[in-house]
Amino acid sequence: MNDLFTDEIVRAENLKKTFTLSRKQQRVEKTTSTRKVAVDGLSFSAYRGEIFGLLGPNGAGKTTTLRMLSTLIKPDEGDAYIMGHSVLKDPQKVRDCIGFLTSELKLEGFFTPDYLFDFFGAMHGVEKTVLASRKKELFGRFGIGAFSQVKVSDLSTGMKQKVSLVISIVHDPDVVIFDEPTNGLDVLTAKVVTDFLGELKNMGKSILLSTHIFSLVEKLCDRVGVIIDGKMAECGALSDLCGGKSLEERFFEIYRGIKGDIL
Amino acid sequence: MKLLALMKKEFHRFFHDPRLIVTILLPGIVIFLLYNVIGSLVNTQEKYDYKVYVAGDAAYAQVIKAAVEADGSGSTVELVFAAEEEGKAAVQKGEASALLVFSENFTPAAGSSVQIWYGGSDESLSFYNLATAVLQGIAQANTFSVEGHSFEPEENFAKMFIAGLLPFLVVTFVFSACMSVTLESVAGEKERGTLATILATSVKRSHIALGKVIPLSCISAIGAASSFCGVVFSLPKLMGADLTVLGGYGFGSYVLLFLLILSFVPLIVSAIATVSTLSRSVKEASGYTSVVMILVMLVSIVSMVVTQMGDWVIAVPVLNAVVFMGKILGGELAVWQSLASVAANLVYTVLLVWLISRMLSSERVMFGK
Ligand SMILES: Nc1ncnc2c1ncn2[C@@H]1O[C@H](COP(=O)(O)OP(=O)(O)OP(=O)(O)O)[C@@H](O)[C@H]1O
Ligand SMILES: [Mg+2]
Repeated sequence: MNDLFTDEIVRAENLKKTFTLSRKQQRVEKTTSTRKVAVDGLSFSAYRGEIFGLLGPNGAGKTTTLRMLSTLIKPDEGDAYIMGHSVLKDPQKVRDCIGFLTSELKLEGFFTPDYLFDFFGAMHGVEKTVLASRKKELFGRFGIGAFSQVKVSDLSTGMKQKVSLVISIVHDPDVVIFDEPTNGLDVLTAKVVTDFLGELKNMGKSILLSTHIFSLVEKLCDRVGVIIDGKMAECGALSDLCGGKSLEERFFEIYRGIKGDIL
Repeated sequence: MKLLALMKKEFHRFFHDPRLIVTILLPGIVIFLLYNVIGSLVNTQEKYDYKVYVAGDAAYAQVIKAAVEADGSGSTVELVFAAEEEGKAAVQKGEASALLVFSENFTPAAGSSVQIWYGGSDESLSFYNLATAVLQGIAQANTFSVEGHSFEPEENFAKMFIAGLLPFLVVTFVFSACMSVTLESVAGEKERGTLATILATSVKRSHIALGKVIPLSCISAIGAASSFCGVVFSLPKLMGADLTVLGGYGFGSYVLLFLLILSFVPLIVSAIATVSTLSRSVKEASGYTSVVMILVMLVSIVSMVVTQMGDWVIAVPVLNAVVFMGKILGGELAVWQSLASVAANLVYTVLLVWLISRMLSSERVMFGK
């Protein structure tokens, strides 16, 4: 294996997150317990220059894990290190070296992509000249140029996602964390995004993404972790994990091994 | 630099949205129109036949008579030359409109003085206002003194009215200005998930808090200034004889009034920003804000009714501004109390900003569902 892969960029150690459920949430989840363990002692590592995929069914805890890694929420137990910075002790440093894309983080519809790019550039302390050339490059790469002066609220879903993506990496972070990056995109836009992820990888960035789409993992990921019920069920290089079978087949095997049957 | 960018974003948001600008400027225009209507209802120039006693060196009484009779209302002035005591008795009994007492060897120059004694009737007040206006017109170039003496303890209806109602109105209008911008900007951004995007960057949470409170205060201050101008420009109309009352409030009074309003604005903005940060939606935040608003209204109404309050009010936010605005408008230049109130409000604002930045770092507040 390439020796790039020996450099540990993300290390999650025994991450645990429990949410307190409100009455309403209890009804939705059909439970009488007031607590929901979303992530339950999760550990894994991701290495420089690879694309690591977190694969899991709905409610497995993928988003919760990524939110902890990007310091939006704090783990109840355990810790995670991004480029050596603890998400608990050094959240500011972590925020500076990651780009985080998730549907939870929205862009203000009143502003234009152009304005927001500059604004978030300033938020990350990017120098003006660097920012200008990055804007030109990224807007060109994603075809945002023609829409750069259109209010975000007037953009299509796909264009909005592209703008969000571009803005999440405005500060040229070493680690890119994307939660379901192709959700809600048509095949063309999804391809633009997945191609770009490949490109980011070639530029030496480390990428962590979550998805429940097998083909996306097969196409992009070097290594994959399968999360079920907040626990890491299986983790390893894609080829090792699949062992000759298709990822889908392997996933159902793993799932059955843990849950007994599929619903 | 990051703080600057945050502040610029708020200003940009505001100044590129005509609707927001209108909401901010409207209150001032409403006050101006309202007070002008009230003013013209209160002060329609009545036609009076004044009977005025004159004592002392009376040459200038004719000037006043001529000026008052020339005001277009068709009023007449009958001058009665008599001793000071006799005049006072007549005014007190309501037989005469006023008594003018000129100092010995009166000339319109320094050292001379005129006293105007008047009663509580409309006729009496009207003459007092007209005469003072005329005399001050003359006195502007020549510095002699004009003193008003009323036989009525409740001297000036209009002044009382202003002192009582104005602080309440200003507080109301300032509050609504702050509310319209702050709710939308803080609770709105939280509800829409755009605040979370900023929280995901490495900006200091205190900068995010300041980046909201400072520009929103400036914008609300524009609204407050608009109300303030509305009031100042309506005063002449409201008071009828303009110069007396406008002159009555010196430059110092205006500075203090302005400082009080100005200290009150960031306080209200950060209070609304605090409840907005705590709320999950604009709707929830406006619910809490209306509770705050009712409290503020109650406090200002209480201060209108209860006139004697100790210096402890300085420590009570909102109440301090209302009370000392009232005092200043009532003619009492409460300098140190006003300045102390301004300082107190500033301290409360800083505390609230600190609280907001704490809440911005709190997962339970920002991401609790
Ligand atoms: N703030 C919260 N309060 C209560 N429960 C929560 C909260 N956030 C997540 N959960 C619960 O934790 C579990 C894991 O959620 P999470 O969003 O991490 O799953 P996911 O793997 O991203 O699923 P999906 O594929 O549907 O996005 C779910 O059961 C969810 O209902
Ligand atoms: Mg998810």
